[in-house]
Amino acid sequence: MPEQQPALADLSGTGLRVAIIGAGMGGLSLALALRERGMAARVFEQASELTEIGAAIALSANSIREFARLGLADDLARMSTIPTELIYRHWRDGSRIAAHPVRNDDWYVQRFGAPYFGIHRADVQKILSAALGAEHLHLGCRLVNIIEQADSVVLEFANGRVEHADLVVGADGVRSTVRRWVTGADDAIYSGTSAFRGIVPAENLPSLPDPQAIQFWMGPDAHLLHYAIGPDGEAVNFFAVVATPRIWMDEGSVVGVADEVPVASFRGWHPAVTEMIKAASSPIRWGLFTVRPLLRWYRGRVVILGDAAHGMLPHHGQGANTTIEDAFALAALLAEAKPDDLEPAFDRFQKMRRARTRKIQRSSWVTSSLLHLPDGPAVRARDEKVTRVPEDFAWIHQYDVQQALRAAGAAPAAAAARA
Amino acid sequence: MPQDTVLADLTRVLADVPGVDPADVTPEARLGHDLGIDSLTLVEVVVAAEDRFGLLIADDDWSRFVTIGDVIAYLERAGMIAPA
Repeated sequence: MPEQQPALADLSGTGLRVAIIGAGMGGLSLALALRERGMAARVFEQASELTEIGAAIALSANSIREFARLGLADDLARMSTIPTELIYRHWRDGSRIAAHPVRNDDWYVQRFGAPYFGIHRADVQKILSAALGAEHLHLGCRLVNIIEQADSVVLEFANGRVEHADLVVGADGVRSTVRRWVTGADDAIYSGTSAFRGIVPAENLPSLPDPQAIQFWMGPDAHLLHYAIGPDGEAVNFFAVVATPRIWMDEGSVVGVADEVPVASFRGWHPAVTEMIKAASSPIRWGLFTVRPLLRWYRGRVVILGDAAHGMLPHHGQGANTTIEDAFALAALLAEAKPDDLEPAFDRFQKMRRARTRKIQRSSWVTSSLLHLPDGPAVRARDEKVTRVPEDFAWIHQYDVQQALRAAGAAPAAAAARA
Repeated sequence: MPQDTVLADLTRVLADVPGVDPADVTPEARLGHDLGIDSLTLVEVVVAAEDRFGLLIADDDWSRFVTIGDVIAYLERAGMIAPA
């Protein structure tokens, strides 16, 4: 749309004050995506440093292709492991129910045009924040209040800081404070499942077959997912999910448990599973929350993205990836917005993103039950289903934000300059 | 909004779904068997319907829809529409 080109230049030149709440995947990606579109933003993060011990993520082609255009794919690759295969196993005997190549035969890159990375979450934050520049990042700023004024928004932080912004983006996760202001309610829903997680040196896992693969061990009312991370696949990140407790009583999403609880939850499972959980020795239970589907992702000058807008169960490994998609889509649409009339851009954003994220959110929910079937007749159909995973879920990985922008009538990003 | 207007609006929503022939959209038509809408495509229909009718359709609700008539009945129950 050539007539929208001047608007892009206008917005970048207006000095529109953009405040992003949260320096996770969504906040950092958005700041970088806005810069690509000629706009500056400040990122406010409640944590005093960007580290989260014991947490890793998988980045798939749908987000890697955006980072590749910004020239960040090599930095990410250096800190990542690409899984050899995607393998589904029986919880007790460890038999391979289905296996699909990922790095093997270069299958994934050939199919989706970008790689699949297992990586420390903190490493991604380091790479993105270094690319952004520390001066744009404001740590130790926990948002406590949003006050709407006629022509701006006032943000109040717990440390006493007060900031004025023309546009606020809530990228503050599944328990989002900004969402509470946008919808007027706490729309987080406890899923009835919780997880134990950890990162273990691969050398401490002698019973583990295929330590460099991404593997689902599926059993009654529980499953364990793991994949290798880091530059040489030297560590294995796992996520062990149980269908308890039925009700989440705690205010926060993390609670301490007795030392023996994680491994006791997997009594009778294959030694590779129990050995991995024992090796982690972090007796913490993470409640798995989703966000109730929302009709509107914005209010006034404030919009939410990522987990804040559509928090989902992690069983497709798409929480971070859809958040990154959101960030690049929103940046493109804001670049075409009128500074004094932001709602049409917010509306285009949610029109472009609501159906896709709702589909993945729903599919992750259904997958959760499939991963937790008791041994019995339903298992056979499920085991048949997991043999078709790469094709059944290709639509998730092949999604291209820039193509989707074009389809929505917005200008895609310029192709990366070749070095 | 009388029922035939809801049906017309719903037909417009479904006209954007690849493979659905608006002529097949009747209250008796089954979403899966007659209209060929699989569960993922149904999510797109639900989101488009939400935008059109301005209400949220909870996952627990839409996953029980079998026919177009079920969708219309739901919209009526939601208080959006005066029954014809």
